[in-house]
Amino acid sequence: MNAKPKCSDPVILNLWHAIVAFAELRPNTVYETVLLEEPVSFAIDSAQTPVAWRSQPAYRAGDTVDPARVADRLLTLSAYGYVWICLGTPAADIFPIPEYFEAKRRNLNAATIGVHVSAPRAIENFLDMGHFPYVHTNILGAEPHTEVKEYEVEITPDGNEVVATRCRFYQPKASAASTEGGDIEYVYRVPHPYCSVLYKTSHVDTARLDVIGIFIQPIDQEHIRAHMLLCLVDEDNDDVAIRRFQLTIFGQDKPILENQFPRRLPLDPRAETPIRADKSSVAYRRWLAQKGVTYGVIPAAT
Amino acid sequence: MSENAASRWHPIAAAHDVPYRHVFHGQLLGREFAVWRADDGFVNVWENRCLHRGVRLSIGINDGRELKCQYHGWRYSNRSAGCTYIPAHPADAPARTITIRTYPVAERYGFIWSCLDPVTEMPDIAALDQKDLVLLRGISVNAPADWVIERLKTYQFWPTNALGEAAAETVVEGSDEFCVTLRSSRNGAQTRAVLLVQPVDAGRSVIRGALDAAPAGKERIAVLRHHNERLSALRDEVERQAAAQPAPIPIEPVYQPVTPELAAMPERAPPGRNAALRVVVARKWRAGEGVAGFELRAVDGYLPTFQPGAHIDVHLPNGQVRQYSIVNAPGETASYVIGVKREPDSKGGSQCLHEAVQEGDVLAISEPRNNFPLRRNATRTIFIAGGIGITPLLAMALALHHSRFAYELHYFSRSRDHFAFPERLGVLGDNLKPHVNLSPETTEARIRELLAVRRPRMQVYVCGPGPMLDVARRIAAEHGWSDSEVRFEYFRNTRKLDDSTGFEVALSRSCITLAVSPGQSILAALRERGIAIPSSCEQGACGTCIATVLEGEPDHQDVYLNDAEKRGGSRIITCVSRAKSARLILDL
Amino acid sequence: MIRLYDYELSGNCYKLRLLMSFLKVPYAVVPVDFYPGRQHKSEWFLRLNPLGQLPVIDDEGFVLRDSHAILVYLASRYDPAGPWYPLDKPAVLGDVGQWLAFGDSITATASAARLHDGMFYDLDIGAARAGAHRLFRILDEHLWFGEQEGRDWVCRAAHPTIADIACFPYVMLSEEGGISRQDYPAIRRWCDRFKRIDNFIVMPGVFPASHALAA
Repeated sequence: MNAKPKCSDPVILNLWHAIVAFAELRPNTVYETVLLEEPVSFAIDSAQTPVAWRSQPAYRAGDTVDPARVADRLLTLSAYGYVWICLGTPAADIFPIPEYFEAKRRNLNAATIGVHVSAPRAIENFLDMGHFPYVHTNILGAEPHTEVKEYEVEITPDGNEVVATRCRFYQPKASAASTEGGDIEYVYRVPHPYCSVLYKTSHVDTARLDVIGIFIQPIDQEHIRAHMLLCLVDEDNDDVAIRRFQLTIFGQDKPILENQFPRRLPLDPRAETPIRADKSSVAYRRWLAQKGVTYGVIPAAT
Repeated sequence: MSENAASRWHPIAAAHDVPYRHVFHGQLLGREFAVWRADDGFVNVWENRCLHRGVRLSIGINDGRELKCQYHGWRYSNRSAGCTYIPAHPADAPARTITIRTYPVAERYGFIWSCLDPVTEMPDIAALDQKDLVLLRGISVNAPADWVIERLKTYQFWPTNALGEAAAETVVEGSDEFCVTLRSSRNGAQTRAVLLVQPVDAGRSVIRGALDAAPAGKERIAVLRHHNERLSALRDEVERQAAAQPAPIPIEPVYQPVTPELAAMPERAPPGRNAALRVVVARKWRAGEGVAGFELRAVDGYLPTFQPGAHIDVHLPNGQVRQYSIVNAPGETASYVIGVKREPDSKGGSQCLHEAVQEGDVLAISEPRNNFPLRRNATRTIFIAGGIGITPLLAMALALHHSRFAYELHYFSRSRDHFAFPERLGVLGDNLKPHVNLSPETTEARIRELLAVRRPRMQVYVCGPGPMLDVARRIAAEHGWSDSEVRFEYFRNTRKLDDSTGFEVALSRSCITLAVSPGQSILAALRERGIAIPSSCEQGACGTCIATVLEGEPDHQDVYLNDAEKRGGSRIITCVSRAKSARLILDL
Repeated sequence: MIRLYDYELSGNCYKLRLLMSFLKVPYAVVPVDFYPGRQHKSEWFLRLNPLGQLPVIDDEGFVLRDSHAILVYLASRYDPAGPWYPLDKPAVLGDVGQWLAFGDSITATASAARLHDGMFYDLDIGAARAGAHRLFRILDEHLWFGEQEGRDWVCRAAHPTIADIACFPYVMLSEEGGISRQDYPAIRRWCDRFKRIDNFIVMPGVFPASHALAA
């Protein structure tokens, strides 16, 4: 099984990619998905150990399987409630999210949603605050409170992450307890070209931070599955209510993402028009260009 | 597709496809369009892509004057397609000319026409040149245009007055690559059909047709149904044929790169006190007691995009240059409207406009500049206008009015007759609060009432004569309003300027040191050394010639900077202000 | 009070939220985690609706399933004299019935395509999209002739009916199933008119329209 990979971008091939939430799986059952245009099958055993392989006729989706007997396996690991696989040679460990292991946090997969867009466009939208009043009207923002205040962006000294800090945005209902609006503080991390993690003032305890991760599984250059991890301090609401909120937000972003052209993220600075509020996306695009990412983007002409 | 497809004018919609307050999603030869009609009737054909993040404008909002992108609320103006507002930065006027790519448009013969690469104006089409055309329903076909044209040459239909009778004879009167003209006859009844095929993409087309006979009422519907039925059948046939072939590869859309200037973070306005535009005085009228209104139209092309609060320099026949605020409402882009008050103590500017300049005259003006931007992130906005100070505030009030934001416009004037632009004021309804014929004491008392209650997220803009602004400034300070909450626009700097000092100015980036002698401004000294920076009023009121101070203590003599900015000492208005220290270092 | 068993991203549930908003009928939402939780197949929900489908309402003990059945019930019960389901106009009621069935066909095609693309339902996506395009051609033609004849809505009535509500959501969400509406300009105009009905509300995937030009 040494077919030439469909994706020729070594940076992306050598990354770990989330493909499914453990919560969605029954043991000893074959599931199928697509990663970087390669059909991939996988299963977990009763001890929740994942096994993945390039799809082959012997195992069809829904079949019962003893994962231990599957040969020619792909590299897998388990992290943050998801199965991750790598089609190349993993260059690094999975990035850390220490909050996931904190006591008194609720960790759950909000959902996995398919979107007709490139992975970097989805990440860039996740980093963006200026759209809150227009796309998440009366939830994450509301006119006339449209200003994106100055914030800081840096690439960590090791070059492994883009980090935006001191991001503040007016939210109509700042917390579960308040009826008034106020600024919510956000920190954004991009520790992986197709993954981002945000930290946000908790709705129920404004002294603590909720964590929301988005892990993009690239089906191909213009189709993705977005896996959304919630890691919240909320002990009041049940999973159904929490998921409902997150799906509302993502459902509002979806038509925007699917109407963006070109679907791949252009890295040429002259392709689009940045403003100061877009500092984080400017840094993200530069970082992708520096890493030499070519999959899901339109590289700048040299 | 042949090469002349791009230089040919094609119908891209029926006129009825583009009603008010709607955005039509069009396409021609692979290019997508957002097509929208402004309330003034003008049809805009734009590239279907916001320049900011590439989101389709066809999912945006047509508010009748501007098209608002659904993603970040960027607003683009009718006609010019220039960006007028970026909500993420409410305090900044979009300094750069961010303009959506537009395509030429003609609304004729019941269709909207456009062209990717025009070499001529939209030509006359003799076969369509008559009054009572019947427009057929457009039929989208998943097949290349040339296949559709071939099949249309054998299209059979009945004359309009002979529906349902035995077979009629249809003959081809003429055809070319994208158009077939047919005539159907039976027993003396005749109908001509012009069928145009719009090449949407390599494998997609729309048949757009018009008939020369115009029945009314039920008969008209019957004719429309007759053609709809027959053309739909024809479409099904062509599509079956097309489906048997490999689908043509869609035309790769071309996205023009933005200019290098737009790709970088915002830059400052281009230098000089220039008069890049030529305008014709299309109308001159009495806009109020002692106020002349001027409607200025571009000599050719479109006028540049303006934002509420913007002004233009008008270069007068007598050699003077004067600044006037643009009164226009958003999207009102066919002309600029300004109001000129006749000043008794005029040095000749207002007198020249009132007396010498007539309808039909050509004037040179600058591009609009906005040093008095309107923030739209307030929960309530109060405008306080005195006399001719109404002009920028009227444009601002109209912008908030059309976006349905909360605001009040307080207009202080000698009498109702002195109200400038009463027809525009009428649009504002109860939001207009007149204060007529008040003594200076009563005026002060009213302003005090207005500024007495300071609430968070409120904004106040004041424009009027110097003494009124000084009063408002004092009252605002007493009530604790910050400089960012209350903004003043002076239309003149009435302070007595002291230019008796001499000092040195060093330019850090240019590595030049120059001496400013008594009687000379910094701006003039810079110009002498060939360093052009933009300017407009050149009397310390408009803020155009602002520069950043890196070292040294400025001697502020302008009325543009607010007190905090003056205390901060990091900005200087170079046309009037000077130095208290022996040396200033500017970031130039 | 009415209880609506609801999934935020469901167009069928949205139909009921729309009508109750138009009629200003208060209701409480019982969230059901359709995806990814599959709560509509859970035991407690199957007792409510053995078909395992959303939406369901419980109006003070009167339990009803099927979005269109519920539209008929709510309009008849809470707007008896109103135009949404005009009980005194048999021809319009017949028309409404016909277009409610059409709305079901839109659900079977356009909604199915959306579930395939967004939530990975295993179905014949080509057939779903082709079916939706077939229906949209019919609807576009119907609405275009309506405009020519002075009719703004799906049924032969001067006011929108529950048939408009039954057709709107999955037309409006079709692009999430890869079904473009570019070739259906009359449908796009009808969507704008629909969004301008007083008390219109949005759902994720549906943006509001601008205000109409005052006559």
